[in-house]
Amino acid sequence: MDPRKNNTDQKQIENDCRQAKQFGRREFLKGAAKAAAVGGAAMLAGCGTGMLGSSEELSLRWKEYFKKNYRLMTQEEKDVTVQRLEQLAKIKYNVNIQMRSKAPIDGVLFGYAFNVTRCEGFMECVAACVKENNLDRKSNTQYIRIFEMEHGQMSPEVGNGKFYHQVPVEDHFYMGVQCFHCESAPCIKACPTKATWKEPDGIVVVDYDWCIGCRYCMAACPYYGRRFNWNEPQVPLKEMTKKQHYLGNRMRAKGQMEKCTFCVQRSREGRLPACVEACPTGSRVFGNLLDPDSEIRFVLKHKKVFRWKEDLGTDPKFWYFID
Amino acid sequence: MKTPTLKYCLWGILPVLLLIFPAGPAYSAEGGVVQTYKNATVPFDDQKQVDGVLPLAVNSVQVTERYKGGRFRTETRKDKLQRFSCSQCHNNKPVTVPRAAEMTHGDITLVHGSQDRPLSCYTCHKKDERDFLVTEQGVKVDMDHSYQMCGQCHFRQKKDWVGGAHGKRISYWAGQRVVKNCTACHDPHSPLFKKRWPTTYSPPLSKSK
Amino acid sequence: METTQEKVMMKNSPKKGIISFVTDVIAWNLSGGIGYQIFLCCLAALVMLGVYAYSVQTKLGLSATNMTDIVSWGFYIANFTFLVGVAAAAVMIILPAYIFKDKDLHRVVIIGEGVANGALVMCLLFITVDIGGPLKLWHLIPGIGLFNWPSSMLTWDIVVLNGYLALNILVPAYILYCQYNNREPDEKIYRPFVFLSIFWAFSIHLVTAFLYQGLPARPFWNNPLMGPRFLASAFAAGPALITVVLLIIRGATTYKIEDQIINKLRLIIVVSAIINLIMLFSEIFKEFYLPTHHSLPAIYLYFGLKGHNALVPWIWTGIGMNLLGTLTLIWNPGKNNSKVLVPACILLFLGIWIEKGMGLIVPGLVPSPLGEVIDYAPSWVEISIALGILAIGIGVVTALIKPALIIEQRFEARQ
Repeated sequence: MDPRKNNTDQKQIENDCRQAKQFGRREFLKGAAKAAAVGGAAMLAGCGTGMLGSSEELSLRWKEYFKKNYRLMTQEEKDVTVQRLEQLAKIKYNVNIQMRSKAPIDGVLFGYAFNVTRCEGFMECVAACVKENNLDRKSNTQYIRIFEMEHGQMSPEVGNGKFYHQVPVEDHFYMGVQCFHCESAPCIKACPTKATWKEPDGIVVVDYDWCIGCRYCMAACPYYGRRFNWNEPQVPLKEMTKKQHYLGNRMRAKGQMEKCTFCVQRSREGRLPACVEACPTGSRVFGNLLDPDSEIRFVLKHKKVFRWKEDLGTDPKFWYFID
Repeated sequence: MKTPTLKYCLWGILPVLLLIFPAGPAYSAEGGVVQTYKNATVPFDDQKQVDGVLPLAVNSVQVTERYKGGRFRTETRKDKLQRFSCSQCHNNKPVTVPRAAEMTHGDITLVHGSQDRPLSCYTCHKKDERDFLVTEQGVKVDMDHSYQMCGQCHFRQKKDWVGGAHGKRISYWAGQRVVKNCTACHDPHSPLFKKRWPTTYSPPLSKSK
Repeated sequence: METTQEKVMMKNSPKKGIISFVTDVIAWNLSGGIGYQIFLCCLAALVMLGVYAYSVQTKLGLSATNMTDIVSWGFYIANFTFLVGVAAAAVMIILPAYIFKDKDLHRVVIIGEGVANGALVMCLLFITVDIGGPLKLWHLIPGIGLFNWPSSMLTWDIVVLNGYLALNILVPAYILYCQYNNREPDEKIYRPFVFLSIFWAFSIHLVTAFLYQGLPARPFWNNPLMGPRFLASAFAAGPALITVVLLIIRGATTYKIEDQIINKLRLIIVVSAIINLIMLFSEIFKEFYLPTHHSLPAIYLYFGLKGHNALVPWIWTGIGMNLLGTLTLIWNPGKNNSKVLVPACILLFLGIWIEKGMGLIVPGLVPSPLGEVIDYAPSWVEISIALGILAIGIGVVTALIKPALIIEQRFEARQ
């Protein structure tokens, strides 16, 4: 092997490497600068005015960002976060809200019954729920859906959920659907961060700030019980319900799941949910399943009740009955 | 190099076992919520367990029927009637105002009962004591307790109303039970409900933007 | 007795450290002819488009997409589902190479792993852009957050995907680093991890299938054939992509790829594609022999429902491409001629992409549990972000394969 030829080969290789390195270094720096400029611009454009706020607001948000899952909080931590949220609401919306974090009552398991014969499709329940739970008006979020059904079918899937005419229509009946607060809820099993769970009083709740917004629970729910905030919710300040619960009707943000909570802000104070109170025909019955003297137990004992999609094994606490 | 067949099997079975394992506890709850509430036979003390239940600020009377061994209340009716008490006019004195019936009770259309056997005014109103109602048997009924009247024919609905499957509860779910009486929703003279427009609607879900 | 040449070579290749390995890799990735530089600029442009679209999505929330409460998973999850299959398909090269000790396929294992890594990075990015609150992802970390394992299938998916990514990066990195230092990599160290990755590859795709399969709320998904079908379609689409990549490498570089490799891959693709078609037929039979309410999603997909038929041309094109690609690969006109193979593989890949992406996710969610039917098509934000992620994926694959081939070639030359 000729050493001289070897050396020239070697020099060639070295030259190539050096050139490649220089080319590489220049290109790399150019690319990096481009990426950094674009990335910075994108961040500023993307964040928009959302990030800009007073330093007090920012410090409250900072602390809120690092808080634990509600289930793991002690009562002091719950009180502290409730206070922070009240302050944030004052800064952001200029409203004075009263937020509570009331614990479930012992010996209570909430149950719900819906009288299919009595519902006339007035949708007072829908309007009351939207107002009570501070639902987003922009995307017309409604926890409750009412279906106009023809006689002969009992499943809302074949009903008309978008009716808007004088009610009731002859030969039709009306059925309402909302989260059924299943005892063995598939949404609870599906959530990867345990952001949704069943409280001891039977209400399936969501810790909105813990939810990462993957929407797996929405795929798992067979009843269309859950809603997602695709945009930042908008509620007119005049219509905002100021008595709020951490797990209930407090203001949510975009990217969070939400659902009917049997009006936890009301039912834990002994009051009826907004839908039950608003119904003009008295088709909705709500109460404590563990109280043998309650109305709901009377309905379950004496009326012909059924549950929707019972074959899926969800064990819902929402029964339909007919007179 | 040995063929690690046993290792393959173990590595393969392990994830399967881990998946099946959580399924066991899922089926341990027998009977579900129906069994849970059927087992709950101890009465629930509302006053003790639920704090902050305020008494309802409506006039109510205690219903004569017993409700699962307890009592419940219903709204009064007499304070909501415009022309009560009836005996102000109906006091055996002659009526001298011309067309008085039309002027005072002209807004009442009596459409109650079947077409061939409709109800008349005296089916329910006691002729000699106009402040009261009267049953078929001749029992005097106070206007606040009009459910006893309706329950003569509509006994199934009355049974449901006493239990809670019919009618509307106006108090909280905890605490003293107060319900609407029959005539709060059903006009006793023409009880058939009129049609009306719904309060709101569910907008279409297509993304038109 | 070392010759002068050997002395020179050894002097010029001393034991190099990690830092020089990394800088050399970066240098090799950024150097190349003018065609390659244009290719890199195009990728960068697409990535910038994706970043801009993502900033719009961050500002407006996910309402910037066309997803609604009914079609709550859309284009992002569809692509994620398909790409997990592509990532798992590297096992179809590793398995024969290591278990059946196939020497030919052993040469292209590193390329298969590069493609798998690119696909995995794309999967993780698609999930991240689909999440409503990406800044809250730390809630998943066990210890400081809450990790709902083993109940939630998503947690299983997170574990297996990240584990597979780690395996697929560390093992080739070790092998390449050894070869970079002109050392034979020690088989005893990495062989157990390779076998682990074989089972892991099957499990990543089974777990992703179980995400959908385990939901009784969605009858279109809740059938036992989802898992096996995912595997079959993955092992058809993945090797098809790898074949295309190999043919590109054969054309664009001096890395030698024999015909037997292409033929073996073709056989793997054909067998998997036929099994996939048999499973498709089985599903169609179940849905349409005695249709029930549970068949409504399939009716919506193949024929349209209540006037909504946006997916109908899409799915029939997909099945047509699938069939055409499979038949071409079976018949093999031209005897592994790359002018026939590349279009056939691309047809098969795109056909399975349609069928397993949009043709799986959207019908699973439509009609909604309340029976409502809605059409869904991705918005410009979703398409732009998907293009950006695609560019990142291609970039990752290039960035991994280019240095790998250079190192392998140099290592072989010095043997």
